[in-house]
This record gives sequence, C-alpha cells and structure tokens, in this order.
Amino acid sequence: MAPDQNKRPGGGNTPKPPATPSRPSGQSAKDKSRAQSRPVTGKAPTGKSGKASGTAGTTRPSGSGGKGGNTPRPGRKPAAPPSRRGLSGAVMAWGAVGLVVIVVGVLVIVKATGGGNASAAGYTPVTPAPAAVVHDVTTIPLSVYNTVGVTSPTAPVTPPIIVKGQPPLVIDGKTPTMLYYGAEYCPYCAAERWAVTAALSRFGTWAGLKITASSHTDVDAETHTFSYYGATYTSPYIYFKGIEAVSNVPSGNYYKTLMVPTKQEYADVTKYESPTYIPGATAGEIGFPFISINNLALISGPSYDPGILQGQSWSQIASGLSDPTNPATQAIVATANYISASICATTKNAPASVCMTPGVQAAAKALKLS
Amino acid sequence: MHTLRWQPVTTLLLSLAGLGVSIYLTITHFDKVLLVCDTNATINCEKVTTSPQSEILGIPVAMLGLLFFVPMILLCLPAAWRSADRRIHLARLVLSVTGVGMILYLIIAELFIIKAICLWCSSVHLITFVLFVIIVTSAPLVLAQDDGLDDGEQWDDGPLPQGA
Repeated sequence: MAPDQNKRPGGGNTPKPPATPSRPSGQSAKDKSRAQSRPVTGKAPTGKSGKASGTAGTTRPSGSGGKGGNTPRPGRKPAAPPSRRGLSGAVMAWGAVGLVVIVVGVLVIVKATGGGNASAAGYTPVTPAPAAVVHDVTTIPLSVYNTVGVTSPTAPVTPPIIVKGQPPLVIDGKTPTMLYYGAEYCPYCAAERWAVTAALSRFGTWAGLKITASSHTDVDAETHTFSYYGATYTSPYIYFKGIEAVSNVPSGNYYKTLMVPTKQEYADVTKYESPTYIPGATAGEIGFPFISINNLALISGPSYDPGILQGQSWSQIASGLSDPTNPATQAIVATANYISASICATTKNAPASVCMTPGVQAAAKALKLS
Repeated sequence: MHTLRWQPVTTLLLSLAGLGVSIYLTITHFDKVLLVCDTNATINCEKVTTSPQSEILGIPVAMLGLLFFVPMILLCLPAAWRSADRRIHLARLVLSVTGVGMILYLIIAELFIIKAICLWCSSVHLITFVLFVIIVTSAPLVLAQDDGLDDGEQWDDGPLPQGA
C-alpha cells in the first residue's frame, strides 16, 4: 500500500474521512476526534494519535500486528477499499429492503388475483360477528329507544300487521314464539335483522351471531347484516326460531340451501303470508322476510328501505345506534320498538322494564295494542 | 456518526408508536369490546385477533409485539445509536430482521389463512417495516464505524495502544 494511497480521503470503512471539507458542519469536535483516531482509516493520524508514524504504518505488511494509525491492528484483516465496502454494504441493505417489498408485493398480487376472493365470487362470507358490533346492537341506550319511538322521517317504517284472534304460534312445543323466515342473500332481510336482533336483545340473550351481507347482484346489493344461521337465542319471555332458508352463495340460478322449515313452520308461513292477512300479498308466493310474532303481529317484506344502510359497514351501522339523529338508527330503532311492542303483547307486558318504556309504549299505541 | 442524525429520533418514535399499538392490541385481545375497528368483507380486526394464528405457542401475537418493541425502544435510544459497542447495533439489526420476518408470516396468515385484514395489526406491520428499512440501511454505516474496535471498546480521543 503506497503512502499516498493511505492519505486518500475515505479510507477505512467510512464513506468519507472525518475531516474532509464536505463533511457536515454540525460534526462535533469529539466525533471528529474519534473518527480521526480510527485505526482503519487511511488517513494518517494526527495530534494525539501522532505516535503512529505514517511511514511505519504503511511500510509494515498488512496484518503484521503493527498498530500504526493507518494500518490494521493486530489480528485484523486490512480494511477493504472504502468505496467498495461501503457500496457493498449499502447494496446489501437496500437489497434486503427490496426483497421484503417484493415478497409483500407478490403476496398482495397473488391474493388480489387468486381465487377465493369472496367479493369477486359475488358474495360476502359468513363470519363470527365482532364483539363490538354485537355489543352495540344489543345495548342500544334506552334513551335512544325512547327518543326515536316510531319516528323515522328519512326512512319511513311500515308497522307490523296486527291479526287478532289467531291461535298462538307454537314451535318446538314453545309459545309465545317469534318465527323469522328469511334468507342470507335477501336485502330486505338484511335490513330487518338489525331491528329484530336489537328488539330480541331486550328480552333475552344472543349467542353465535354471524355477520354477512346480502347478495352482491340483487337490489340494495351487499347490505351488511347478521345471519341467524348457527345463532342461538334464549329468553324467559319468548321463543325465537330463525330460519335462513338459503345462503348468499350463488348456486346455479339461485342460492345454496341452508335450512329447511318443518311442515308446521312452513304451514304457518303459507297460511299467514297470503292476501287474507297481508294486503297485497300473492297467494302461494312466499317473500322474504316473513316474521310472525306469535301469530299476532306479521311482517312481510322490509319494514324500511334497506337503501338507508347502503355503503355502511357493520361497524358503522352498529356504532351509529347510539345516535338517535342518525337516519339508519331511526329506521332500525323504530322497527325494533314495533317488534318489541308486538312481543310485549304476547308476554303480558313482561318485562315491564322493556314494555313500559316510552318508546315501546309509543309503538304499542301506534299498533293499537295498548 | 454524522450520517445518523435523524435515525435515532425517528426509530425511537416509531418504536414508541409500535409499543402503544401493541399495548392496545394486547388489551383488546382480552377485552374484545374495546377493539375499535371498521368491519367489512376485507377488514375484520376481531376475526384476526381471535384467530388461531393470533397466538404462537399460547402467547398472543399482540404480546409478542410488546416483547419486540420494548427492547427495540432501548436499542433505539440516542445513546444506544451513539454507542461504540458493536453488539448493540447487531442486536438492533437482528431484532429488526426478526420483526420483519414475523410480519411477513402474519401478512401471509391474514391474507391466505384468516382471510381478513386487521388495520391495527397492519399499522404495527408498517411501523416494523419502516424500522427495518432505517435500521438495515443504517447498519453498514453504524457497524463500519466499529470495525476497528474490539467488542465493547469505546471510541476515544487518544491514541490506540501500540502493540509489539
């Protein structure tokens, strides 16, 4: 190694020697001194490091054990040419970063273009409902129920049809009973489930609720909702039977079958979903959803326009339920109050903590149940 | 050290942010109601944080995040960045590489096994990746400055000991 080479700026492993003019002006004197004392830099030591003679350092064979300021220390390999080492390290570092970016990019591309994408397949998978969503829909503040009552100016609510004098609905040997007959693909059912879930939570406890969305190709496409398939509901006041007839997964020209009603359940649906009880209904045609609250109150079709929920995620709909001025909340809560009042009419107004509240009483009055 | 002006502060702030999110995710791992996250067909934090992949050897992944960011904070303190102890810089590098390896696994799990994305988790992934970028690209400079020193040896202003 020639002496003049040792004096080149940028010796050792650093890109630049500490004392070059291009060095940032903020360099502290201590750092400067430290850098100057570096054993592997090619710059001849100065000042306190002056003991090591530049000549001695350069004439000593590399790795011979000399400790001159410009030669490697004993046992150490000589420093590689600075630019090559620095470049090599930087290339390796950025190469590692690039590799990670490429791996992540490939993963995302494979996911985006690969099969199994539920959205591309035209349906939203059924997954366990997030606890926060369930919490929000099952703990709507009483003040919201009472403030809304049955008022929903943006999305008017159609009240249930009251049919008095009918035999009580008995399913699985239990009465009073609320029967829900719907389908996961159905957008009207999607809207109705928010109200049904909220109303029933005032009388009992849900478990195993799922979330999904209505068909991606039907009207009010992809309305976010719950699914009662696999869910359980327990209440000391009313028995609930939820039937999701078909899923939202396309199969042929329709959807995959999920649950088949018993003969008794189907007989009840066909009996009451008819022009005799539902004005405008067509005999022999069963539309989703159909709800019978102990054969006293009937709901056929949507209570409110599902369009009010369009574009809102489950979380957005659920978190909005504490705001009585939210149009979607008003539609859901007003419907829930109607359903609650109908249930109260079958439970002899039990529990009073629900049935005697202003919101439910307003619904009962509108339905002429009180 | 003149090339490492912003890295110590940036990595320290990122590590603190990562620790904050990890604490939140650890809390929500045990109390899911507190998990605030938009939910749609793609994004479902709870599905991710309650999936079988949310635990490794019985340890919640969120807690592993704590175990990652606490030492990372210490290793990213300005004093640690200034240290001439090569082991500190190597430890920081190894930890960041381990972290990015972990997030690659978690991204695979989210995209292909759980089939849902957790935005909170993604924020931790992003923080870990940015930390990785800064630490890895700084490593050649930091480690190079220690090349002439024995492990644990500090820079000083005096002459190096003369050997025989």
